[in-house]
Amino acid sequence: MRIIQETNIDFIRQRKVSFILSAFVILAGIISLVINGGPKLSIDFKGGTLVSVQYTEAMDVTTVRTAMGNVNIDGQSFDFSREEIKHFGGPSAILIRVPHIEDAPQNFAQKIVDHLYSAFPEKVPESKTDFILGKGTVSPKIGSELSGKAVMAIISALGLILLYISIRFEFRFALGAIAALVHDVLITLGLFSLLGYEISLPIIAAFLTIVGYSLNDTIVIFDRIRENAKASKREAYHGVVNRSINDSLSRTVVTSLTTFLVIFILWLFGGEVIHNFALAMIIGVIVGTYSSIYIASPIVVQLHENAAK
Amino acid sequence: MREEGTIEQIESRTIKQGLDLKGGMYIVLEVDLPTLMETLAINKDNRFNQSITSIRDQLTRTPEADFFTLFSSASNDNNIKLSRYYYDFGSSNEDILTALGEESEDAINRVLEILQNRVDQFGVAEPTIQKQGSQRIIVELAGVQDSERARSLLESTALLEFFLVKDVNITNEILVKIDQALKGDETIADVIESASVEEVEETKESNDQTISVSELFGETEELGASSDSAVVDEDMFAERPFSSMLRNLGQAIGIPEKNVYAVKKILERPEVREKLAAAGGTFMFSHKVEEYPLVDGTIEKMYSLYLLEDEAELTGGVVEEAKANLGSQGSTSAGQPIVNLTMNSDGARKWSIVTGSNVGRQIAIVLDKKVHMAPNIREKISGGGTLIEGFANINEAKDIAIVLRAGALPAPVDIIEERVVGPSLGADSIRRGTQSVLIGLGLVLIFMLIYYKVSGLIADFALIWNIVLVLAVLASLQATLTLPGIAGLILTVGMSIDSNVIIFERIREELRKGKTPRSAVDGGYDRALTAIIDANVTTLIAALVLWQFGTGPVRGFATVLFWGILISMFTAIFVTRTIFNLFTNRKNLSKLSI
Repeated sequence: MRIIQETNIDFIRQRKVSFILSAFVILAGIISLVINGGPKLSIDFKGGTLVSVQYTEAMDVTTVRTAMGNVNIDGQSFDFSREEIKHFGGPSAILIRVPHIEDAPQNFAQKIVDHLYSAFPEKVPESKTDFILGKGTVSPKIGSELSGKAVMAIISALGLILLYISIRFEFRFALGAIAALVHDVLITLGLFSLLGYEISLPIIAAFLTIVGYSLNDTIVIFDRIRENAKASKREAYHGVVNRSINDSLSRTVVTSLTTFLVIFILWLFGGEVIHNFALAMIIGVIVGTYSSIYIASPIVVQLHENAAK
Repeated sequence: MREEGTIEQIESRTIKQGLDLKGGMYIVLEVDLPTLMETLAINKDNRFNQSITSIRDQLTRTPEADFFTLFSSASNDNNIKLSRYYYDFGSSNEDILTALGEESEDAINRVLEILQNRVDQFGVAEPTIQKQGSQRIIVELAGVQDSERARSLLESTALLEFFLVKDVNITNEILVKIDQALKGDETIADVIESASVEEVEETKESNDQTISVSELFGETEELGASSDSAVVDEDMFAERPFSSMLRNLGQAIGIPEKNVYAVKKILERPEVREKLAAAGGTFMFSHKVEEYPLVDGTIEKMYSLYLLEDEAELTGGVVEEAKANLGSQGSTSAGQPIVNLTMNSDGARKWSIVTGSNVGRQIAIVLDKKVHMAPNIREKISGGGTLIEGFANINEAKDIAIVLRAGALPAPVDIIEERVVGPSLGADSIRRGTQSVLIGLGLVLIFMLIYYKVSGLIADFALIWNIVLVLAVLASLQATLTLPGIAGLILTVGMSIDSNVIIFERIREELRKGKTPRSAVDGGYDRALTAIIDANVTTLIAALVLWQFGTGPVRGFATVLFWGILISMFTAIFVTRTIFNLFTNRKNLSKLSI
């Protein structure tokens, strides 16, 4: 069985179109990021409190909002009615997020759970253990450290990858690969912002997976370019690259399809906790496959032609 | 006969499931270094206190800063000679800072040990307690159900102190002095106001209109008028602002629950602290709220407030044994949960002196700066035994007994991160997660089988073997599988499949060129090798960097990815190759099923 027969598509000639398309999507994402004041960070990075609870009946968000308007904790009253309050998974589960409060009462998350429990006594399970789906409090201290470390890790990883590809291939290949990676992460980040999804630690792991996947894809094509370029030195560079992409197209499609399959199932059936995580990976697989063909390789050609001039 | 404990040993080497998959709690505790340094210092004066306060402020603003760097520069800038406060630790500022650094190192190790001890006694399966950096401890209690109980068990400093309660007359004098100090101060009204509705930073637009009760009835907003602000006796407020928030409970002062925040704020004010320091007293709240019937038949929830002597008569270091029990029949605490304390000989001697010379006075038993009870001393207690009352239930008494047995923490700890995943969400996510990964994997296996026939079967075999090996390595590393770990596993599966796809497509190409199966397999593997190695090594580099810099989940991802890629290179290149060679070595093989 073969999905892709021998092809001869001129991918490189379409590079202006693909560059414009990518630029457009990235721009839309960046505009959304600017409007929203950066990516929507979860409490992992910003600090704050997150509580999710399971009622026995469907709940109306507005009712819960009203109930959160006056929360008394040890003589300190709070108005949480304007905080983020939404359904979580189904209509009977509620999620509430409160930003970090200086001078917060002790055991703040639990106090919010207690309030939610006592506010609707006829709609809660008997045991509080069944009522709590999850709760978390992160001090902004942890968050800022985490962001610092993440940035550090990404910069050093990119630097080392750049070095390795420069040694094994050529410097322009390294630039092409890194450009494709940045492209993938920017698009996923932008789409998350457009969709209003937040960036949490597991989403960062998904981003890293995207980076790994896209890199793998790119290098497989680069390897073919390296091989074909050695074999036919007289052929125009852009032709060599084109043939290499066509040669490995069958592999690209099969691999992307299988990976997509696994992640798609995860997205479909994986449950609320995994849902956004799988979504990030779905976007990543599609964008990653696209970028190895339409971004990484054309950039290598472009750099080659610029150097030849 | 099997060696004893072998099965347990093997069982302990299964892969643990992380909190996000199983439910449970994750807590990061940070040792409060400023407070530890305060505790260690002697002859503390204003200058010292000010510098510690300013360091605290700086740490809140720039959390990444190192305490000792700040402490050192603060001492140098303000020309503070540390030997004044820490002469036991050395003479020069540098020596003292090094010694204090070691002391804090030692303190965190003791905290670790004590927490370990408490968790062991609490009885949680597979707790993970580890040190992170120089002042943090991470506690993971997978599968724990009662997160509230576990939290208070960990957080408690377990500092037990016995204070004499000041005489009622002295207490009243101080209240009058505080009232005088605050009288006419308009900011007091603000404190009470601020206790009513604290606006939290706005994040979302909302159309909800909140109309307060007073607005509905056309009343003008006044102190104490709305139901949720502090309850104040208005006639008294102008003359005695502080006392107007308190109630008389006979032996103690009552504070209605709604006034707690306002009272705490007032007690923090410098002019109030000054008056207290001058009188050598300190106010402490009772440990729990109690219900008191009022004259008009309603019930008011109130905490008690005690004015205690400045110095503790005795501390928990003398406790030798602590046991939770129900009070015996005939005693005042019959049927109530209590904790029985036994003291060592030194403690017993001091206790008998304290009780003997203060018969008739109230003594407060204070745990973590909260008063559990304040009984009157009826007679001299010489046996070194005493009991603590005032627990909500027997579990609480048990937990207090645990923390008292395990000993007090050398420094207080703050919970800086806490995550609890409820058992139902955990169970749901693990069921659905595993199911969908298995379905996805099954589909991939079937796809490979259809697309590459017998060769696909070989790839499937390699893939399954790959997963088994990765899981085995994870188990032997005693790693915990979390959501990011699963992400790593999916990437590994993808890369492993990809290696085989690259090889098979190459073999197909070679076959199309008309080569024999044998040389097509050789050619395919040779040509695919560089692509596989370069792709995998690059990802390996990324995994290593992430492992180095990452913490927690990111590190988990990196660990899985690192081993996954190493193993997948092995299975995809060597294992499948060997199987192919077995096939192609048969001379009559004329066609390759690929």
